Amino acid sequence: MRHPSVFCGLGPWALGLVLAAGSIAAAAPQWQGYKTPGIPRLPDGAPNLAAPVPKTADGKPDLSGIWMAARAVFDLSQALKKGETIPLSAEGRKIFSERRATESKDDPSARCLPTGLPVRALLRTPFKILQTPTVTAILYESRTTFRQILTDGRPLPEVDWPAWNGFSIGRWEGDTFVAQTAGFNGKPWLDQAGYPASDALRITERFRRRDFGHMDMEMVIDDSKMYTKPWSIFGEFVLQADTELLEFICEENEKDSALLVGK
Amino acid sequence: MTRLFSIATLCLVLAPAAAVAHHSFAAQYDANRPVTLQGTITKVEWMNPHTYFYIDVADDTGKVVNWAVEGGAPNVLYREGWKPTSLKAGDRVTIMGSRAKDGSNLINATSFKLPDGRCIFAGTSGPGGTGTPNCTVGRR
Repeated sequence: MRHPSVFCGLGPWALGLVLAAGSIAAAAPQWQGYKTPGIPRLPDGAPNLAAPVPKTADGKPDLSGIWMAARAVFDLSQALKKGETIPLSAEGRKIFSERRATESKDDPSARCLPTGLPVRALLRTPFKILQTPTVTAILYESRTTFRQILTDGRPLPEVDWPAWNGFSIGRWEGDTFVAQTAGFNGKPWLDQAGYPASDALRITERFRRRDFGHMDMEMVIDDSKMYTKPWSIFGEFVLQADTELLEFICEENEKDSALLVGK
Repeated sequence: MTRLFSIATLCLVLAPAAAVAHHSFAAQYDANRPVTLQGTITKVEWMNPHTYFYIDVADDTGKVVNWAVEGGAPNVLYREGWKPTSLKAGDRVTIMGSRAKDGSNLINATSFKLPDGRCIFAGTSGPGGTGTPNCTVGRR
């Protein structure tokens, strides 16, 4: 039933094709199915995800676009880079064990507080990257949140007011965009399984756009309080053509938190 | 009910889905307590972080009880082909899901079965949250 017909096998883009064929694309609700300008197309109008990586005026790969993880991950142990394990410290293991024993009922994100950056990237909700010479912004549909990765040459800041998302700077290493983030407040969980983080957390993301439609991300998680050494996860993102971000106001109908009983 | 979902829409629902949850499934629901509810929709909450559908269900004695049904995030369902008006008060449906651990009249839906037999995915992140609708009947 996953692909009940050839037509259905086109997946989420089928609606776009239907709308375009009917010449009513301009009226596409919330722009779902409206053909995103500037995307290379195959003869049948489908996005050519294997087309070359677009470049900015200064010759860097342009990461701009709407992306989404190729598969949903709620537990980072399912996204480990090959050969990696999660090296919990004694303190980290204590916290993680408590969270597992209660089925993650106390996850702040279940109360609409921010998700940790690792799981947010892998939730399989879309996010939009806007790349400019001095800042690369990530607009997450999840919770209608954003990050900005500053690329104007400044160093990481001295932080006297730690933040849920930390503070990010970026630079290019060849065709790889490297974002470093520090200044976390230790409140968000790294994932829904409950892998913890502290205010010592530092995250390094490496983004590499392989072609027009695919981008790899490696994320190094370095938290000397919760883990005995840095460890890495991997994610693959797929360009989302012919769609737009939708509003996601988590607080509007949050009624689960009072019902999370754990085991 | 055939008006609810066009063929194109149904195909979208049947395509691989993006299951998303803002909370741990296991903290709230018991995957080992499958539930099937058959009745009439009384209210729809098309809002994040989860859709909620309320349904009047007659129990074995004929007494009508209103159940709450948690569905996936509307953003996910929307991209799967659902619309805010896809299900409305008065529509008769059969809903498959898992019962809340606290024993209340609340389930997390995996699939909706329409009167014409079509089975549509409800966006759950729990068991069955692979995007493939499954209308295997459980028990209440």
